Amino acid sequence: MIEYVIRGLINGAVYGILALPMSLLFATAGTVDFAIGAYALIAAAVATSVAGTLGLVAGVLSALLASAVMAGIFALLKRSGEEGIRVALASFGLSVAIASIVLLIWGTQPFVRPTFSRMLEIGGLRINPQGLINVAISVGLVALTYYLLRATSLGRMMRAAAANPVGAELAAIPVLGVQCGTILAGGLLGGLAGLLILHSAGLDFTASLSLTFIGFAAAIIFGIQTPLRSLFGGLAMGVVEALSAGFTSGMVTSMIPSAFMLVVLMTGLLGSNRFAGDRP
Amino acid sequence: MSAALQAFDVSISFGGVQALDRASVEVTPGRVVGLIGRNGSGKSTLFNCVTGFLKPATGRVLIDGRDVAGEAPHRIVRAGVARTFQTPRVDLKTTVRQAVLCGLFPTVKRSLMSALFGLAGARAEERELQRRAEAVMRELDMMPLADIEIGKLSMGRVRMVEVARAIAANATYLLLDEPAAGLSRAEQEVLAREIRKLAGRGIGVLLVEHNFSLIRLLCDRVTVLDAGRVLFEGTPAEVECDAQVLQVYLGAAAETSAIGGEA
Amino acid sequence: MIGKRRPNTLVMLALAAASCAVTSSNPVWLDISILTGILSLISLSAGLSYGQAGILSMAQGVFAAIGAYASAIATTRFGLSPFAALVFALALPALMAWSVARAVTWMAPLATALATLALGTLVEIVARNWDDVTGGYIGISGVPPIPGFEKPVVFNILVWGFVCVAVLLYENLMDSAWGRALNIIRHDRTRAIADGVAVAPLLSAMLAFSAAMAGAGGWLYVHYITYMSPQSLDTQTSISVLLMAVVGGADFILGPVIGTLLLNMLGKLLPAQEAQGLFYGGALIVILLVARDGLLGRIGYLLSLLRRKEPAEPKPVPSAVTAPEVAP
Repeated sequence: MIEYVIRGLINGAVYGILALPMSLLFATAGTVDFAIGAYALIAAAVATSVAGTLGLVAGVLSALLASAVMAGIFALLKRSGEEGIRVALASFGLSVAIASIVLLIWGTQPFVRPTFSRMLEIGGLRINPQGLINVAISVGLVALTYYLLRATSLGRMMRAAAANPVGAELAAIPVLGVQCGTILAGGLLGGLAGLLILHSAGLDFTASLSLTFIGFAAAIIFGIQTPLRSLFGGLAMGVVEALSAGFTSGMVTSMIPSAFMLVVLMTGLLGSNRFAGDRP
Repeated sequence: MSAALQAFDVSISFGGVQALDRASVEVTPGRVVGLIGRNGSGKSTLFNCVTGFLKPATGRVLIDGRDVAGEAPHRIVRAGVARTFQTPRVDLKTTVRQAVLCGLFPTVKRSLMSALFGLAGARAEERELQRRAEAVMRELDMMPLADIEIGKLSMGRVRMVEVARAIAANATYLLLDEPAAGLSRAEQEVLAREIRKLAGRGIGVLLVEHNFSLIRLLCDRVTVLDAGRVLFEGTPAEVECDAQVLQVYLGAAAETSAIGGEA
Repeated sequence: MIGKRRPNTLVMLALAAASCAVTSSNPVWLDISILTGILSLISLSAGLSYGQAGILSMAQGVFAAIGAYASAIATTRFGLSPFAALVFALALPALMAWSVARAVTWMAPLATALATLALGTLVEIVARNWDDVTGGYIGISGVPPIPGFEKPVVFNILVWGFVCVAVLLYENLMDSAWGRALNIIRHDRTRAIADGVAVAPLLSAMLAFSAAMAGAGGWLYVHYITYMSPQSLDTQTSISVLLMAVVGGADFILGPVIGTLLLNMLGKLLPAQEAQGLFYGGALIVILLVARDGLLGRIGYLLSLLRRKEPAEPKPVPSAVTAPEVAP
């Protein structure tokens, strides 16, 4: 039981990193970047092709590049006054395109590169040391994001853009710039998540959409508006997933992210003012 | 059981703020009733309660004696109560003809299925709808505009299209939410003429309006709201004489000038 | 029934006839034509729900799969004739969509998209794991072909006949008060309520209709391939048909068909099938950037410029071109 919970927390920490950019972008731009999972995928794929630490850097850079493409598309769409749904569609297109690129270059091989060959034994529990690194990194990243949002002028601009885009624009805050920056942050975080997954569970070219999905589900469980909650959302999902993997069938386990998402959407917990769209 | 649209003792509150406190209003066919009050006095809320867009906590809304409080708004439209919106809600890319056709929806009898399979009845009804839309537009002197995109019309025209859309539904009661806002003087005159024409045809009109000269011109009765309560109910002339209304509604400046005029 | 007021259906009939005539001699082309026709049908269903009612459904491929499974099970397990099984292939997706619609149609477009995506994934997982009924990963083989339509040439005609009927029904709908009501809902739900439209029931009925359309596509698919597995029609299909519909112009009746023809045909010319996603995704992004109403919207706009020949009165919004299907 405890083992499952710990395993779930370790997986969930990575989900939290995927969820973080979802909630940031939703807060600042009111839209969803479906390509987050694809950033993770491309980072992992590139990292396997370049040896050593350089591979990690190359992976993150490739993810950043992919998100820069998305930011460019976003800026162009925003200029012609597009609503969020078209941005979401375009990010879908990008996600499909990236997955196809990965398939073209790397084929159907799974990307996995375990860092440690030996499991750590703590009090009778066998834990992959990489898991501890994952947890540490994700907690660090969330803390860093939290600090950036709360204590820097960039963070203040982001919060202003999120709370009231028109007002922020009037106050000479470059809202579009902030939103594009958020997409780039999505590339960075998505890429890092991809590397962490590469070094733990591994992934293949079909993973991009399900990673996006997991990230989004984790982001909305406790409310999409604040980034801190997305870490807890990720952890919660990881734990439920691990528990169901231990005590139920594989079918139920694979259903968890989708089921989570459906339930949250149906209960309408998702910041109704912005997501419900209707203005009576 | 009288032929009238009535709201009795309607109350509703939003998060502790009493938006309406036992407010009542009544419109009879052929009459124009004004609903006035300061911003936030509950005009729009009362309007939304009557049209079913809000469900009042207490009170009754009667259409010709039938209680409809809490019924779905699209049912209330079908019962003969049509409304316009303060900010016109129109697809700027459609034409005037299409907008009026949309207004005819409550009169549609044929089912979705018969439309889907293009049955003769559905097609005949479609032709009939086209004919009726033209009749409505002709009545409001809009035929020259019929195939123009709404986005290219002036605000006054857009509001008139909204009125046309509302009356296309064969409504007995027409609720207009600040129809004259942002209209030029000439456009206001056209609007006033049309409203009087509608009343002449036996339609009861409830008019939410800030512009008191329009109220004076058009309305048979006026209901004044303040802080969700009915402050006064009477003819426009009586409203103008009531010191309390002047104080609350017309403001201090108007008060001095009105008193000056009385003296 | 197909008079002057059904221009899209006329165009579709001509397209279908051309497709059947051109491809009849070559078995490879025939195969492409048949699969393109089936995809067109599913894509049409995506266009109907997104383009007309504003519901971004990412489950159309899965609705098709439900139709295919229904027919596969009915014919292989219960020995029904494929024609009798068509009833299930239409009704089951429609029923499913109807019940789902009640839960999702009140949501905003983005939420609906996510909810339908989640739903599609769930159905897929069930199909993969419910060994007793769907055959799990292995799937169901030995699905009988449709009697009288065993030859690809004839089957091709059947497929495009289905597409033509779907376009006719779709155009009938859009040329009625109900179609206009759908467009009002897409533009502004509150406005639709004020026009006396019962929003939720209409959207549910519409989604059910589009799911039945997708189900018909699944029926054709399973009786052509004679095999059904979870990979045959899945969320990838849902996404592909949606991309095709948007690329062609989801607001236009024939947009999805054009998008499917183009992407699927050009996709076959790609050097590697792995590049298909790159091609589809890239096409979608380009279309969203340069022609917000899709290919047909762009063509319609250019045509209207040519026809008018007025000295430059540039429209502020390129999409101001009136879509043929919303014309009175």
